[in-house]
Amino acid sequence: MSILYVLIPLALLLLGGAVWAFFWAVGSGQFDDLDTPAVRIIMDDDQKPGDGNET
Amino acid sequence: MMASAETCFHCALPIPANCNLTTTIDGEPHPVCCPGCKAVAELIRDSGMSQYYALREAPEPGVGRPPEEASEWHVFDSDEMLAAFTTDAGEDVEAILYVGGVYCSACSWLIESALMRLAGVAAAELNPVTHRLRVRWQPADTAFSGILGTLASLGYEPQPLTGDADARPELLEQRTALKRLLVASLGMMQVMMFAVGLYAGDFQGIDAEMQRFLRVVSLVVTTPVVLYAARPFFTSAWRGVLARKPGMDLPVSIAVGTAFVASVYATLTDGPAVWFDSVTMFVFFLTLGRFLEMRARHRSIDRTAALSTVLPNTATRVTAAGNEIVPVSQLLAGNRILIRAGDAIPADGVVAKGDSSVDEALLTGEATPQRKSPGDALAAGSVNLDRLLEMEVTRTGSDTTLGTISRLSERARYARPAFVTLADRVASYLVIALLLVATIVATVWYQIAPERAFEITLSVLVVTCPCALALATPTAFAAAGSRLSQLRLLVTNGNAIESLSRADAFMFDKTGTLTRGVPKITALVVLDNRFSEYDCRLVAAALETASSHPLARAFKLDDSLPPVDDPHVEIGQGVSGVIDGRRWRLGSAAFVGAGTAGNDGPTTQVFMSCDNNAVAWFEVEDTLRPDTAATLQSLKTRGVRLALLSGDQEAAVEKLAATLGIDEFHAACSPQQKLAIIEAAQSNGERVVMVGDGINDAPVLAGADTSIAPAHGATLAQTSADVIMLGDSLAPLTTALAMSTRTMRIVRQNLTWAIVYNTLALPLAALGYVPPWLAAIGMSASSLIVVLNALRLSRFE
Repeated sequence: MSILYVLIPLALLLLGGAVWAFFWAVGSGQFDDLDTPAVRIIMDDDQKPGDGNET
Repeated sequence: MMASAETCFHCALPIPANCNLTTTIDGEPHPVCCPGCKAVAELIRDSGMSQYYALREAPEPGVGRPPEEASEWHVFDSDEMLAAFTTDAGEDVEAILYVGGVYCSACSWLIESALMRLAGVAAAELNPVTHRLRVRWQPADTAFSGILGTLASLGYEPQPLTGDADARPELLEQRTALKRLLVASLGMMQVMMFAVGLYAGDFQGIDAEMQRFLRVVSLVVTTPVVLYAARPFFTSAWRGVLARKPGMDLPVSIAVGTAFVASVYATLTDGPAVWFDSVTMFVFFLTLGRFLEMRARHRSIDRTAALSTVLPNTATRVTAAGNEIVPVSQLLAGNRILIRAGDAIPADGVVAKGDSSVDEALLTGEATPQRKSPGDALAAGSVNLDRLLEMEVTRTGSDTTLGTISRLSERARYARPAFVTLADRVASYLVIALLLVATIVATVWYQIAPERAFEITLSVLVVTCPCALALATPTAFAAAGSRLSQLRLLVTNGNAIESLSRADAFMFDKTGTLTRGVPKITALVVLDNRFSEYDCRLVAAALETASSHPLARAFKLDDSLPPVDDPHVEIGQGVSGVIDGRRWRLGSAAFVGAGTAGNDGPTTQVFMSCDNNAVAWFEVEDTLRPDTAATLQSLKTRGVRLALLSGDQEAAVEKLAATLGIDEFHAACSPQQKLAIIEAAQSNGERVVMVGDGINDAPVLAGADTSIAPAHGATLAQTSADVIMLGDSLAPLTTALAMSTRTMRIVRQNLTWAIVYNTLALPLAALGYVPPWLAAIGMSASSLIVVLNALRLSRFE
């Protein structure tokens, strides 16, 4: 069981890394929009304009 | 006047009876309500973006409907305007726009895709939370007006922003909340795992050293959860103590604080048990509840835009060198500006030259235009109706009356004493009580049978784990909130559900709340048999195109109108003009100069004459929302007192109250009087729900126990509203009342269950009849029952 004395601190280090990465991602604005990315994946940007009439 | 059951495919407004427009999307015909919506829908289809309709959320009725008059975007193409509203970004320029009408993710996709197709646009990024669009483009390829025009042609309302564009408090608040939520959730998961090890160790035996190690590790993980994630609770509790108004965060803080300190002490002294798992779980559920509440609030409110959307973007400044167009943000006190007929007034000031009538409905709720002559005060946000005015600016921006009302309602909202919810109070006190009981049990058993003391104390702590209590309220409110938003009600304040469930009185504003706020012709009597009703409607519509009086909207027809020569608007009297060589007059009896059946009834009567012979009279009235009467009736049967508070004249209010069966009404009320009426009711111990829209209602809404605003109302009113009703109908009010009662019943059931379970289990465990494994099963089962019970709310009809 003494391996736990190594594994748990290691897990805590990884946890700290994950928290740091998340804070960085939030700070750089990646989580500012929580709604659009979820649906953007199903939106087809390649569709051609129907009659070329853009505006 | 019957509205058909069908609603517009594009903007979800009811389709007028005589409208047969359809648009074909993806091979299927869909009905639309007006040529504008048809044009927008077809533009979206023809640019290959029709999947917008498949992906968007249910629209708020009326949002996305294009304006009836095209705005003059080309004024933004001048060099001064570009300099004022854009910044250089390398070879491109960058502008930040507020985009009104964005309500879901599909909107931001549509806008970004449409802009990226314009020549020279390098980047377009829209945040649906803050409604801000950052766009970067080559001014040589596409003019600023092209970008604004594209947004407008898609049915959105673009508004260039200057200066404070980066002040986005919502975004910063959301970022911090996300970080806290993550720390709390990761911390809770980790500590739970260590707790499993500790509990298992209690059953199977564990090295004292390993036990201490796991406790220290739990302490390391719990510390940031308590000090960082739970910090808002501590600061808010401390603020409450300083203000001598302890809020619900105080017991929460005490519970979290004591449990944490006791656990730290137990860790350091090898005490019988630690409670790090309870601490992190409690903090996590509270943080999650606050986060969901914050998201709901941000979704419906854009506070910073509330002021700017009712004010124009630009003003015409009079200088010695001639007139110049400047952004409103550059106006200073003492400037002279010109206000054309139909324009909104950008700042507070005094009339310097000119004579016109001004619509101040936004500020005072008074529907009748006010006459303004040199020396009279003008307020920002009101609209000049008839003639060119020259005004001297006295106050700008947030110093204006409009800005002050906005700030006042903001303050009233924060000053409202935080209602201590029953659930949080009970849960927090119970945590403290449990810790005390556990300590007593441990001490007593240590005296009786030291070898059993530890196991029994453990059972007591596990069996009475406040999980069920901590879950009882947040899960019920979350389920109710999500169900209500499906039923077209947005709850922006977590206390609203509870305070609504105890409502004693509903007070209604009239115009725009019970009624649609849009006048309609309710009767037409033709006095001259040479003309048909349709002739009269056509002539009236043609004449009224010259007028911008609120009543003129009632006469609008989409048919082709005869041309009017020599149109003339007489302020406060009526309009006249020559059609086919005959002079027609439309307006008050005196103006028309015809002997007519005048009366002083509550409705407005408009007379028409041709070459001084009376031809017809119209009765014009603001129409009720479709289900107003039925909704009020069902509220009444639920035993709440109804009252009508209106700024309008006695006769009109009395008639409406009689029609709807409301016994109590107050006419000609100023916002202060409305607030006084509400406060009087509150001092009689009544809980008052105020339903209203309009900027002048904002302080009134903030003063009520619960405030509800229709979604199309002025943005400012919504910032003080606890609940926002989407849609044209008042029926959601009944739903909200029923739902809140139901939610509170579920909350009470949950709390009762949790308390009964705990009070039964606690003595048994304390007396040593519950082994720890049974205690663990009991705790999990009680939490599960509470969650499943709360989820019943999501099926509420």
